[in-house]
Amino acid sequence: MKALRVVHAIGRADFLERVRRYSYLITLLFAIYLGYAAGTGRISLRLGDYRGVYTSAWVGAMVSLVTTTFVSLVGFYIVKNAVERDRQTGLGEILAATPLTKVSYLLGKFLSNFAVLVSMVVALALAAVAIQLLAAEDRTFHPRALLSPFVFFTLPAMAMTAAMALLFETFNFLRGGFGNVLWFFLWSFGIGLPGLTGLSQLDPSGIWMVYESMVPAARTGIPGYKDGFSLTVADKAVRVAGGFHWNGVEWTTEVVISRLAWAAVAFVLVLCASFFFDRFDPAISRRKSGARARSAGAATQAEVALESASARPHNAMSIRLTPLASRTLHSGALGLWAAELRLALKGYRWWWYAVAGGLLIAQFAAPLDISRGPLLALAWVWPILVWSALGAREARFGTEQLLFSCARILPRQFPAAWLAGALVAAITGLGAAVRLALAGQGAGLLAWGAGVLFIPSLALALGVWSGTSKFFEGLYIALWYVGPLNRVPGFDFTGSANGLQTTRFALKYLGVAVTLVGAAFFRRSRQLRGT
Amino acid sequence: MKLEIENVSKTYRGNTQALRSFRLELEPGVLGLLGPNGAGKSTLMRILATITQPSSGRVLWNGTDIEHDPDTVRSVLGYLPQDFGIYPNLNAVEFLGYLAAVKGLDAASARKRIVELLELVNLADAAKRPLGEFSGGMRQRVGIAQALLNDPKLLIVDEPTGGLDPEERVRFRNLLSELAGERIVILSTHIVSDVEAVATDIALIAQGQLVVHGVPEVLLAGVHGKVWEVVVPSGELAALRQRHLVSNTAHRNDGVHARVVAVSAPRPGARALEPSLEDAYLAALAAQRSGAAAQAAV
Repeated sequence: MKALRVVHAIGRADFLERVRRYSYLITLLFAIYLGYAAGTGRISLRLGDYRGVYTSAWVGAMVSLVTTTFVSLVGFYIVKNAVERDRQTGLGEILAATPLTKVSYLLGKFLSNFAVLVSMVVALALAAVAIQLLAAEDRTFHPRALLSPFVFFTLPAMAMTAAMALLFETFNFLRGGFGNVLWFFLWSFGIGLPGLTGLSQLDPSGIWMVYESMVPAARTGIPGYKDGFSLTVADKAVRVAGGFHWNGVEWTTEVVISRLAWAAVAFVLVLCASFFFDRFDPAISRRKSGARARSAGAATQAEVALESASARPHNAMSIRLTPLASRTLHSGALGLWAAELRLALKGYRWWWYAVAGGLLIAQFAAPLDISRGPLLALAWVWPILVWSALGAREARFGTEQLLFSCARILPRQFPAAWLAGALVAAITGLGAAVRLALAGQGAGLLAWGAGVLFIPSLALALGVWSGTSKFFEGLYIALWYVGPLNRVPGFDFTGSANGLQTTRFALKYLGVAVTLVGAAFFRRSRQLRGT
Repeated sequence: MKLEIENVSKTYRGNTQALRSFRLELEPGVLGLLGPNGAGKSTLMRILATITQPSSGRVLWNGTDIEHDPDTVRSVLGYLPQDFGIYPNLNAVEFLGYLAAVKGLDAASARKRIVELLELVNLADAAKRPLGEFSGGMRQRVGIAQALLNDPKLLIVDEPTGGLDPEERVRFRNLLSELAGERIVILSTHIVSDVEAVATDIALIAQGQLVVHGVPEVLLAGVHGKVWEVVVPSGELAALRQRHLVSNTAHRNDGVHARVVAVSAPRPGARALEPSLEDAYLAALAAQRSGAAAQAAV
């Protein structure tokens, strides 16, 4: 009983702390937007070119799958800071000095993660009710048929998301940008898992269950329907199969148990996380990070050695500071640009540079289409963590007050940081640019240039506005997956998949880049004014 | 060189008033800004450092309003915030080099300056180690070094000695005294001994208002002849505290030696003492609180 009270207290406090932040409003706005997108057909559940009548079962399944799919992706980034916040505020060390167990702490945080995600689910469930009532294609309202998919599909998926976010936070190497990027691929893999394996049990999102129920029904209920089932983000018109009234998934005991099993898996994941959780012991974090391959003991020794070295007695007053001439305080922007570049690239190991260099050389050596296609795509995802720090680094490391009290930050440091990001994009993709220039492909070169400017602009804008790098990491990897990797025209900011529209899209990306830089500039100037 | 703070007020969201019509005029020297926790010291520091804007009033640096032209003061400002971060993957030289570039120092001057500063803050031997390995006190010394990078004319240090060991603390005080000659140094703290050691000027702030401003002697004069030592049994200490302002106690064989601030001898046998700045500080705060309480009662 006492343990439950502790779990409840941890979860409640964390939840209240989150929902009292302005960023929570943005979270709810995102949920409302998803509901709007589903209601207006921007995101739709399709059977080839058709959709069924908006019965309670159809609307419930559609909105719950939209929720499961998108909230599990974006929600992960939203909730993946429960432990990190305690680490940054120092509260973690206070809690670690109490009898609180690792399992109780993490279960409390899991509850909070889950509650935040559920609040988004509730908003979308209400949106589903509104969609059916406003569409009025079927005036019979069946609350059970509408809400059951939320209970049995969405909630277990949210539990999984909440647990995975926690699990990622307990591993040092998954805590940061690498974990954010990995989540996207893991999420994609999870969505496609039943399709890949043919096992409907391996379906955390529930989409396969809907497929197995809906497609056979459509084959008999929609004349002319052959195949096709998708949850689509598209503006292409869809035909309403007027006579097709899908009654929903049959909620047999077996189905319900298979769905609730995911909640149990989530619980097990939390227990696993508690096994690896360092309980805010920095010595364990350092040892696990392996960044400098030192043991915790060696780390402590190093600190002691550092302290004693720095504490040697000497007469400070015998050291005189040379007065600075006023002209030394007006150095050019080049030095600052170099400093920003050094800062951006600091901390990467030799193999990171080796891969970037290998991709660069390959761009020079490979055929043009490969060079500007898959190789440029890879070259422009490899430095994602360099870019994601743009604009967010100051908030992440708490250096805002040091920087924002310096003169001419906006005309000097802001563009220097952006240019450093652009230079990283230009150098890592230089091979493709040279090949395009040699082949005389002006449009391709323009698209390449637009990409060079677009990437740091997106990073800077999201970093400055959010104060965290994870939104860029999540959004950029999704954009990269759809555009450069899957070559969807319009989404490919490298320009290689845009065919005859290359110039048009390049100009659009340039326009977007300018807008993003403007937005970042506006926000940073407000920050400098303390507003 | 002059810094004028004219009727500055700051109200945060939720109607929390951190500063109320605060006025002060500063010229070269070390100002010790004293006040209890939550008095508004850090808010004032952030306003002077152009991090926060006042809700009303203005701050003038040599006649220029820093809200409208913040770079005027930023270009000559050295600021050590109460809480600040570092980039853990950089070493001290790289971190200071980065901030030197941000502050606009040319590369050659920055290199020379950084070597001198690291010697000054006793970090020369640890200069090439990642800052992520530094202890709290060492990070604080990096913070002190960065504040001095651009040879500031206005140096603002907010609770700078927290985390420093006694030896480093003494060294930092000496450094501030050395630096004071041709610049304005504002030392914000609630540690009276830090101020006592270096301040040429003292301002006492409480509940967002300036309580008193002047040279230390002015503050001391206020409690002249009002500080006493009395010896009481341990059991009577609580009663003594209820009746009088007790600024210090020490347990001895003959009882508790209490240092009391009172207009007249608190009890027979009380011995008059030379007042310290801490006595003056506590007395001024107590007077401010009772004044505020009386005002609230009216």
